[in-house]
Amino acid sequence: MGRIVLDQVSKSFGDVEVIPPLDLTIEDGEFAVFVGPSGCGKSTLLRMIAGLEELTSGAIEIDDEDVTSVSPSKRGLAMVFQSYALYPHMTVRKNIGFPLRMEKMDQAEIDKRVETAAQSLNLMDYLDRKPGQLSGGQRQRVAIGRAIVRDPSAFLFDEPLSNLDAALRVGMRLEISEMHERMQTTMIYVTHDQVEAMTMANKIVVLQAGVIEQVGSPLDLYHKPQNVFVAGFIGSPKMNIFSGPEAEKLGAHTIGIRPEHTNVSMTEGTWEGRVGVAEHLGSDTFIHVHDTGLADMITVRITGDISVKHGDKIFLTPQADQIHRFDPNGQRIA
Amino acid sequence: MSDRKLPRLLQTPAVLLLLVWMLIPLGMTLYFSFIRYVLNSLRRPEWTSPSLSNWRGFGNYEFVLKSKDFVLAIQNSLFIVCSILFLTVILGILIAVLINKSFPGQGIVRVLLISPFFVMPAVNAVLWINMILDPVLGLQGIAVAGTNDILDGLRQMPVLGGFFSLWPEFEPISFRATQTSAIAVIMMVTWQWTPFAVLIFMTSLQSEDQQQKEAAVLDGASTWSQFRFLTLPHLGRPIAIVVMIQAIFHLSLYAEIEIVSRGNGNKNLPYLIGEFANNNIGAASATGIFAVILANIVAIFLLRMVGKTLME
Repeated sequence: MGRIVLDQVSKSFGDVEVIPPLDLTIEDGEFAVFVGPSGCGKSTLLRMIAGLEELTSGAIEIDDEDVTSVSPSKRGLAMVFQSYALYPHMTVRKNIGFPLRMEKMDQAEIDKRVETAAQSLNLMDYLDRKPGQLSGGQRQRVAIGRAIVRDPSAFLFDEPLSNLDAALRVGMRLEISEMHERMQTTMIYVTHDQVEAMTMANKIVVLQAGVIEQVGSPLDLYHKPQNVFVAGFIGSPKMNIFSGPEAEKLGAHTIGIRPEHTNVSMTEGTWEGRVGVAEHLGSDTFIHVHDTGLADMITVRITGDISVKHGDKIFLTPQADQIHRFDPNGQRIA
Repeated sequence: MSDRKLPRLLQTPAVLLLLVWMLIPLGMTLYFSFIRYVLNSLRRPEWTSPSLSNWRGFGNYEFVLKSKDFVLAIQNSLFIVCSILFLTVILGILIAVLINKSFPGQGIVRVLLISPFFVMPAVNAVLWINMILDPVLGLQGIAVAGTNDILDGLRQMPVLGGFFSLWPEFEPISFRATQTSAIAVIMMVTWQWTPFAVLIFMTSLQSEDQQQKEAAVLDGASTWSQFRFLTLPHLGRPIAIVVMIQAIFHLSLYAEIEIVSRGNGNKNLPYLIGEFANNNIGAASATGIFAVILANIVAIFLLRMVGKTLME
């Protein structure tokens, strides 16, 4: 079980309110990702759920029990930190077994649980090493192992992959997703990387300046961004967002069109522009188009390859049903 | 070849200085320890100048080993050094942990805590033995006299007086006495060197990873467990440094011992060397060689012990 409810939770540091009162419910077994630019309060929110940060006002419930003033270790949550936070003077075995030892569990039972966790994380060969002798990915797995042995009602991840290199990050991402599928335990995951959010989450919570901009499934956020911020934040390359006469024609203050929803032609189309940099990825090509009169630069994405040169004239045609329209407040027009 | 000449040339002054400052005194000590050499002798004037013709072999060493003060000096050296190390490390850790939390006036408190370290050893000893530990005029004497006065007053009380008259009169302790002078030295040096330990432990505590502590909090570790399993291992290296540096310094204590009791009941090896050196340079040199050996044993032993128990 692990249903987490935030009720009018807020946080201030002195006079600075970093999180205005917000409500949020994370259902049992969900994989929720808090995503947003750095400084948006997502880590603070996670630390408040963990109990490492006190609430300025509001209440947190876990499984219908008010845990607002319950000590962190009694909340039944396990957390994985960005810096792994392994205990450097203990072996991997002792690190993983530490929470059980603090519960004064029987040594035989500790050994059994540690071995089970180590087996599932491929750490059997490293049990007697110290964290300093492990690679980044292995350290991250030890940190996860330390969380797993406690059998928590929910896992909290605070940017766990940001210290890893790109290749390892993709691998660990899959492992964590796999772990969630297997255990079906609630997980809350904080990241600033929208690719991680899109690939792992059941539910994405987009935060900006402590305010929840939108909550929804990854595809919800992709297809129906509620405001300009979410539209620009979710999706890679970024959505092209601009205002002006073209937007007014469609009855909106601002419109947005994703790079993959723009058709390209060398001969005819709605908007004319000049090719800037073209990025050839093999499977896709990203073309940055200038001088369209719409925005400084429009990015388009073409499946496959296309031969264009810097400075070529190019025509763009947006797919009409894929244009997102926003009002002057940046809110979506249905 | 010319590539190496210049660096070697540039190193030469340092190497030469090292030779002059270390090897020559050591060599001379060794030499004097094997010959008869006294500063003043009417009976054997030929011994008053160092010469190989006065060769004594291990005679000086035998003389030192058989002298009644030698065993006392070794025991006392170890007792004083180990006591000071034990007290400064414990007090240092406690105070460092205490002032590591932020509180108003933190800066002033830290400066005050460090200040004993800036007092000269001789001044420190004079202040302690005369103003604090003196059985009549020092704080100790005043405190004991005051307590006795209060007790006298209580004995006059109608009902409870009978109970208080069972209490003994308190006696002030003379810290210049044979039995207590080592204790006095340990107290004053501990007072002076605890700030050094605090300083080193405090800087180390500030480099402790806060996320590890948070992880431990989530893992259900109590404050004591956090201290025991995270902070103490983290302090392993600084403790080893404090122990090593202090062991080197305190094996050569002199001023405090001289001022407290002039070596009465409380000699260490340096003080013994000083006494021999009043006339018998040969014996003093032999004692010096013993001191070098003792220092090395202590250093190796302490490093091993501290390293093993705390580094893991």
